[in-house]
Parts: sequence; C-alpha cells; structure tokens
Amino acid sequence: MAVTKPTPKIRDFWPNFFKRTLVIVILMQLGIAILIGGLLVITDTFVLTEMWLWIVTVAVFGLGTIVSIATLAIAGHPAKDLLAAVIHISGEPTNLTPPNPNEKKYAHNGFKDALQAIYELSSGNRTMPVVEQTSDSAPAVDNSSLLASALDNTTCGFVGLDSKHAIIFANKAAPININSDGVKSLKLMFNGSDTLDTWLEACEQNSVHAERIWTRIADRLPSEEGRRLFDVIASYQKGAATETVLTLVDRTEIYTVDEEDLDFIAFAAHELRGPITVIRGYLDVLEDELSGVLQDDQHELFRRLTVSANRLSGYINNILNTSRYDRRHLNVHLAEDSLSSIYDTISDDMQLRASSQSRLLSVQIPADLPTIAADRTSLGEVIGNLIDNAIKYSNEGGAINVTAEAKGEFVELSIEDHGIGMPGSVMSNLFQKFYRSHRSRETVAGTGIGLYISKGIIESHGGRIGVRSEEGKGSTFTVSIPIYATVADKLKAGNNSNEGLIEQGVGWIKNHSMYRS
Amino acid sequence: MAIKTILTIEDDRFIGEMYIRSLKKAGYEVDWMVDGNDGLIAARNKSYDLILLDVMLPERRGTEILEALRGGGEDLIPNTKVIVLTNFEQDDASKLAMQKHADAYLIKAEITPKKLLAVVEELSKS
Repeated sequence: MAVTKPTPKIRDFWPNFFKRTLVIVILMQLGIAILIGGLLVITDTFVLTEMWLWIVTVAVFGLGTIVSIATLAIAGHPAKDLLAAVIHISGEPTNLTPPNPNEKKYAHNGFKDALQAIYELSSGNRTMPVVEQTSDSAPAVDNSSLLASALDNTTCGFVGLDSKHAIIFANKAAPININSDGVKSLKLMFNGSDTLDTWLEACEQNSVHAERIWTRIADRLPSEEGRRLFDVIASYQKGAATETVLTLVDRTEIYTVDEEDLDFIAFAAHELRGPITVIRGYLDVLEDELSGVLQDDQHELFRRLTVSANRLSGYINNILNTSRYDRRHLNVHLAEDSLSSIYDTISDDMQLRASSQSRLLSVQIPADLPTIAADRTSLGEVIGNLIDNAIKYSNEGGAINVTAEAKGEFVELSIEDHGIGMPGSVMSNLFQKFYRSHRSRETVAGTGIGLYISKGIIESHGGRIGVRSEEGKGSTFTVSIPIYATVADKLKAGNNSNEGLIEQGVGWIKNHSMYRS
Repeated sequence: MAIKTILTIEDDRFIGEMYIRSLKKAGYEVDWMVDGNDGLIAARNKSYDLILLDVMLPERRGTEILEALRGGGEDLIPNTKVIVLTNFEQDDASKLAMQKHADAYLIKAEITPKKLLAVVEELSKS
C-alpha cells in the first residue's frame, strides 16, 4: 500500500524553518565554544583541568546562543508576518490573527506598504504597479469630487468605514445619523445579534478579505415616516484605507409589499376567527345546556366538534406566528412564570384532544420546579403543537407522556410518544418550514409549520428544542427554557417594563431583546 | 368591586348575542353598542362596572375608545374595569398600549362564554 505524503502546508513552513535554523545556530555556537576552549588550551592560557577554562567556554556558548537567537527572531519577524499574510490570502485554515498593516510599528518602518500590497493582490485590486500621484502630476479635474457628486445622484447608499468602524465617506442616499459632536453613525436596524459590528469584529480576527450581505434591513421603526428597507452588501479589506465599503440597495418598494401581505394575513385571520369564536362558544354553551338529554355517543360528537374547532384556532395562531416570525415581527414578552401553571391554561384542551382521539395523555409537571422566563401564550402554543404531533404520529390507545425536570440553568420539558418514530435522516430536516417526511405526507395530514414555528418561539426564549427518535418505537421532543433566576438580571436590565416592551415591540426584533448582544 | 352592569361594544351580531346571552343568564345587566362612536358615548354617559371592548369596530376603533377614556391625564372611568376582546392580531405597540389601560386582553377565538364568565368573576373579586 502506497503511503501518500501529506501535501506541505504554508503554515508549517515557518515552524519547521525556525526549528532547523535553531539547531544550526546552536551547533555553530557549540563549535565556536569548543574552538575557543581549544585555542585557550593550546596557547597555554589555561590547563585542561582548570575551572576557568570551562567557565569561559560555557559562557561563550551561552551568550553566543542567546545573542544569535535574538538576532534570528528580530531579523525573521518581517518574514514571519509576510508568511502569516500569505497564509491568510491562500485561504489555508489558521488560527493566526492576520497582521494588521495599520499597526503603528508597521507604519513607522514602512512595512505597511508591503503588507498592503499582499492583501490587495488577494482581492485583485492591484493588478499593475500603482503609480503614486504627486501634487505636480495631479489632473486639473478633481476626480474624487466628480465621483462623490456622481454617487450622490444614485439611489443606492455608499458608505466607507475605516479600521475603527468610523464613517469616512457616505453619499446622500446612505442612511446616516449625525450627533451633536458631528460624529456620523449608520442608521440601520440589524436583527438580533447579527449586526455589522459583530461581523466586522469577526473579520478583524479571522479574515483579510470578506463579503457579507444582509437583506431587509430597515433604517427606522415600522411606524415612522419615510422608512426605507435596504439590502446591505459589505466588503471588508484588511489594511485598506477604507477598510469596509457598504453598498446599500434600496428595496423599500419590494419589501413594503411583504409588509402589506402581513396585514392581509392579520385581516384574514381576523375573518377566520370570527366564525370559530361562535362555533367554539355555542358548542361549549350547548353541551352544557343539553347535558341532561345527550346520549353518550352524542357527547362524543360534541367533543369532536370542540376538538376540531380548537385545532382550527391553534392552526390560525401558527399561521399568524409564522408570518410574523418570517418578517421578524414575532416578539415574545418574557415574564416569570411556572411551567405547570402555563400547562394548566391548555390542560383541558389537551386532555380533550387526546381522549377524543383515544390517546392516553399523562402529564407530570412538578409544581415545585424553578420558575422560568416565558411568554405564556407562545409557550402554551408550542406545547400544544408538540402534543398534537405526538397524537398525530402515534397509534390509537398509545401513551403520550409529558414530563419536566430542572437541568442546569434550564427547565426541560419532554413529550414522549410510542408511535411510528422516524429514521435519523428525517430528523435533521424536521424543524424546517413546510417539511414533511415522505411517509407522513402520505399518511398524516398537516402542513409542516408547527415544528418550524415552535423552534422559532423556543429560540426566541433563549431556549432549545430537540428530538430523539427511533423508527417504530416513538419519538421524544424536548424543550429547554431558561430558569428565571438565571436571566432575571438581564431581563430587568433590558427594561422589561411595559414601556420598555412597547419600545421593543416596534423595534423589528426577531428575538427577545435580552438575547441580543 | 362586585360587577353588575356591563357594556358590550361589539359589532359582530353572532358574537355579541352569544356573550350577552351567557352574561344575562349569569345575572348581569348588559347594554350593547354596535359601533365605536355609540360605544364611547355610552361609556361616558353611564358608569358601568365593566366594559367589554372589541378592537375592529365601525366609526371608531377600540384602541381610540380606550385612549379617549383612559389615555389622557385623567381616567374618565375610574370605577370601571375593561376587558379587551378581539380577534384581530394587532401590532405589538397597539396591543401593549391597550394592555396597559385594560384589565384583561383576550382573543375571542381562544375563549368561550364560560371562560369569559370566569374572567369576569375573577375581576369581580379584585
């Protein structure tokens, strides 16, 4: 069997080279020390047994070695930096921070240009030698002001940032705030923690050249006049004078149509809920008032009507939540609450759903679990979705067990069924929108938004949702929600008062503000 | 504060009649207004113990009615409880503003007359 030699990596060159050179330096110093010792003996300065001979020889070796290594390190430093830069533009994985040309020492000794030349080569900016413009050769027309006035006539925003993220250029269309000190800042509302700043910080650590696109970024709150929505394209080039260039494409017209869609869904839901209200209401009233005359099987029919109306109502909530979640309008309002009391709000409905479909629902949520930070309505909807799923994918007479326990900083809720289960290949796609496994598409009705929105809601709580399953044996869904005490400080700092919530409410947040950095 | 008199501001006839039927059976005195303007006038002319307020109303929205009654410096209905009853999924700002001024905020499709009675009784005790 042929042994293939691994291809050498650029990143391995420097350590190997340094090691080899080190060995050579030490051997040379050893030779010099022996030579000097020999000369001292031959010239009868010392005899072989005298201690001074050995002291001088060892001192010569020691000092020589130290001086040589120091010289090696200083002289090799630029080469090492150049190599680090080359490693980065070669795209080899590395944990080295690429050298920053804007560091003082580089600017001082002129090494800056060398680094910049390498970085620019990588982005294709420097295809031919750049002729430096001197004041004598400057053209009569100032190109930069021409360009600036041209950019001011476009509807796209252009913004240049320096290495400290300060705005050094912005055209007219760019959404910019200027504070009383004349400092400019970008007026863009990124979603959650996925902001330009966090991306730039990551770039500074790991990249020489990078690009990134954000879509549907607004410059002001939905209720404000003249709101615009942009696609933001960022190009990062380490060491360039304008380190980051932002191009903002105004997509307001296209995205506003989506906003109107949201209105449409809200109005449609309103129309659908009207009849459901009456159906649910009178079913409840009638079943009570007729309880004396109804036969057992007629009671069962009433229960089926009730379960169906309840499911319809839950489904409308899923649609509304999904539509908001996709447009980043879904907000959860976290407050201290207990899992058992949240379950109480849906308990009757769940028992009815299970019993009318002949499933044995057993719920054991200890009342003394730590309180959690939860949005009561949303979390109730998630639990309802998961129990609905367990009913759907299990068989008549099957047991569904709901249990909860405290685990570290979370309270974990498990919903276990003993139904058809699923193979591992299905599980990775399970939480995707509209995903239905091939088999369930044939056998079980549904649309595939229940798990998708459940995941969205749980993640907005700063929690986790997961599943274990075995084909033919059943599935267990687990939901972990942060214990209130672990996040109470953050919640309070986030000004979780009513006013605070109103402010966040219109603030285009996907997640609870607490989970934004 | 025991609740006895109730004003329902609701434009959907089926839903309005459904709630009123149950409320009257439970012994409450109920007045019913269909449009927002009449609702606001009724709320200001007579001191009710409870107002059931819809949001999507003709003439004047529930949001405006609540704002007119409680949004200013002075609470015009200090002895009245308010339950917002809606099927319209409002934007967060309007919803929170209403929740701030109301004693309860319920989605009609999520409750039945029986549950509404339970909520009213609960408010009666507080």
